[in-house]
Amino acid sequence: MAIGISIPRIDAEGKVTGRTPYPGDLDLPGQLYLKVKWAGRAPARIRRIDTSRAEALPGVVAVFTAKDVPVNEYGLIYFDQPVICGPGSKPGADVVRYEGDVVALVAAESEKIAAKAVERIEVEYEDLPGVYDPEEALRPGAPQVHPDYPGNLLCHYRIRQGDVEAAFREAAVIVEGTYRTPFQEHAYLQPEAGVAYIDEEGRITVVTAGQWVHEDRHQIAHALGLPEDRIRVIYAAIGGAFGGREDMSVQILLALAVWKLGRPVKIIWSREESIIGHHKRHPVTARVRWGADREGRLLAVEADVIADVGAYAYTSTKVLGNITMSLCGPYEVPNVRADIRGALTNNPPTGAMRGFGAPQALFIAETQMNKLAEALGMDPVEIRLKNVWREGSRMPTGGIVPEGVSIAEVVEACARAAGWRRTERGWVRPEAPSSPDPMKRYGWGFACGFKNIAYSFGFPEHSWARIELHGDAQVEKAIVFHAGADVGQGAHTAMVQMAAEALGVPLEKIELRASDTAFTESSGSSSASRMTFMAGNAIRGAAERALAAWRNEERPAVGEFTYRPVRTFPFDPETGFSERPNVTYGYVAEAVLVEVDIETGQVRPVKVICADDVGRAVHPINLRGQIEGGVVQAVGYAITENFLVQQGRILTRHFSTYLIPGIYDIPEEVESLILEHPDPLGPWGVRGMAEMPFLPLAPALIAAVHDATGVWFHAFPLTPDRVYAGLHPNRVPGGRAVHE
Amino acid sequence: MPARKGKRTTGAPRQAAPRKAAAAVQPAARHRIRVTVNGRPCEAEVEARTLLVYFLRDVLGLTGTHVGCDTTSCGACTVLLNGEAVKSCTMFAVQADGAEILTVEGLAKDGELHPLQKAFWEDHGLQCGFCTPGMLMTAYAFLKENPHPSEEEIRIAISGNLCRCTGYMNIVKAIQHAAQEMAAR
Repeated sequence: MAIGISIPRIDAEGKVTGRTPYPGDLDLPGQLYLKVKWAGRAPARIRRIDTSRAEALPGVVAVFTAKDVPVNEYGLIYFDQPVICGPGSKPGADVVRYEGDVVALVAAESEKIAAKAVERIEVEYEDLPGVYDPEEALRPGAPQVHPDYPGNLLCHYRIRQGDVEAAFREAAVIVEGTYRTPFQEHAYLQPEAGVAYIDEEGRITVVTAGQWVHEDRHQIAHALGLPEDRIRVIYAAIGGAFGGREDMSVQILLALAVWKLGRPVKIIWSREESIIGHHKRHPVTARVRWGADREGRLLAVEADVIADVGAYAYTSTKVLGNITMSLCGPYEVPNVRADIRGALTNNPPTGAMRGFGAPQALFIAETQMNKLAEALGMDPVEIRLKNVWREGSRMPTGGIVPEGVSIAEVVEACARAAGWRRTERGWVRPEAPSSPDPMKRYGWGFACGFKNIAYSFGFPEHSWARIELHGDAQVEKAIVFHAGADVGQGAHTAMVQMAAEALGVPLEKIELRASDTAFTESSGSSSASRMTFMAGNAIRGAAERALAAWRNEERPAVGEFTYRPVRTFPFDPETGFSERPNVTYGYVAEAVLVEVDIETGQVRPVKVICADDVGRAVHPINLRGQIEGGVVQAVGYAITENFLVQQGRILTRHFSTYLIPGIYDIPEEVESLILEHPDPLGPWGVRGMAEMPFLPLAPALIAAVHDATGVWFHAFPLTPDRVYAGLHPNRVPGGRAVHE
Repeated sequence: MPARKGKRTTGAPRQAAPRKAAAAVQPAARHRIRVTVNGRPCEAEVEARTLLVYFLRDVLGLTGTHVGCDTTSCGACTVLLNGEAVKSCTMFAVQADGAEILTVEGLAKDGELHPLQKAFWEDHGLQCGFCTPGMLMTAYAFLKENPHPSEEEIRIAISGNLCRCTGYMNIVKAIQHAAQEMAAR
């Protein structure tokens, strides 16, 4: 057996010895250094840009501006963002829309000279009116952020199912709320970096860290107006990603410079540049109304959700699609009316981040469930088990939930582990401990969720693998080719395990060649909790074919396979109906015990129990690492990470002000419950899981704070000042507004 | 040694006069430093404002020491300076003159990994691995001072190092495990 065991990670030795190169550790003979001139302001039209003083500086080799980019546009869903803003390329590219737009790119003999040259670039701006509030952006007459999106509306999803008015008339309880979720910064520890050179076959070769080599290649080729086979993308070790490397950062800039100059080039962003230069998690404002009958059965959901998309689309249409399908939680709701709109603003663009819209949607849905339970005098586990999807349930968007529904089992397992008991009167929550310190209060909270595995809404989804078996009588070496990125989650180790399992050969005979477009076809991105699921299916298919060739006496025996899962469908634009929005799901539940210091407003997570149905655990210890890491990242989202943007300008530009959790901020204990209800479509039953542990933490924590203090918070992060104002609204000017 | 530092800060640059055209980028004073890095003595000329981490990475090519934040927040650049863990992004190379420096590349001896390296590998104390060298060096200095730490003491010891992937739990376990291994030797 090669899966289900925790083998040493294949990348660990290089990482503990310092030998593994990350993109910024690479140097090439004769390389030039690149430095970006950022807009640093928004919004404005660039009237004139003068690079002559920069170019006159000795050691400066070139200064690139908009006119140097052949097809001056990029973007994962729409090509809506200029590679470099300024006059002389396409219409509309002369406008900077947020502070992270690129205005020029310097190539120089040293980093220091490049930095000096950036300061000498003169830009003449004409101020344009900006809009920074997504609700204002959607009002008639608001400043237009981007010419492609009239009225600043990127997308509008609707769910119209059943008769919401009639259902609310029947409801025994109705709970309403207005919720606000914050930005979140990925804060992977390795800032964006890379090198580029012309390889021995004349290809423009970019070595960097991303999430999908073939998409990077596609966007580089588009911007340079070159065929894709002229471009090669390779990933060095990737220092974390979490969705933040899904869109382009340094890739096109590196390719442009090496293509124009023919000399190797290098770029490293500072932490500040990283925070300015890539997208964030969407802040969302939601007004919602949920109704249930006396037994706690959900009757109706009404929701009006607006997400801040920032200045460009990035993956926002997909993220908002995920918000749409997650907005009612993993529950059967017969009557739904929901509007989900994405508004462009002059704020930093928002896009993919671990959970991809589900954390926002589930914060809203799960807090509503907890408030309904309170209104009915019912236990939060009890009310969930009355409403969760079962095999054959319909989603709020009309389709049947894909087979393998395990949310009830996951909720029960988590509740029991946390000390919930099932009595004759239903489920009963555990007593929270009490403290001799009268200022310390404790409380338990519960929430659950689900996450789609693989791409959704009809987006083309496939994953390629190739296996070569070398040897004579016996397989001496099996070479696995796969494009998938190991962003730190351990994907490559899992691939080796799955190949050994599928081939029936020992682990040490597997050699993995990954993340280089020169010898792979596309495997899709490391995102959407999809890589183990998709790569496993691809590797299994390739292994079958390679083994057939082996039996057929071919040497080397080669098998190639492209896995395509079941088809998915977009939402109907009027009703939201989708027969099958997603391939499949993973399910998760969390119980959180918190301590609240009512004197200081400090919230401390004491214990987190996280139950995940992973289908089948390929590597149990890596999996637990993902759970612990996901929980802690969500603790940051819920408590410490207060990302501030004022009139489009990011105020938290460093780790000294944007506080990701350190070891003092983490729970004393994270208990991981790994459940294995096989997914019918998964290789060996595998579901994805990397995003799931993140999802229920914020709502569970906020429910725990309510249990401890009696106060509901409708916005987070729960920084001490917000909590203090919420607990003592009369002692703080504007105190009530802080948490409502 | 302090005397030498003092003399240098007021001294004129000793290199050849820069080309006239280059005057726009201020020629910086250069200072000769002698350090022992991972047991090897080395001597180099550095600018006064060169940070120790860039001296290690760019001059000596020791890229195992990473730069994660530029603000002394993350600890990815932690190295040992005369046995003490320091964040090498927060001191100048000239301040290290005369010092013994240990980086992650110097942890393994004669091809054998240090127990901390083994433990981080075997106990999965890493995911993306970018924080790992800093964690290892912090833990190394800590275990020298406190070879039998409690879990709480380990948490305090690494509280100046950030990790965005693991949630820290396996890092603590790896350090505990390494401490046991080292004590058993």
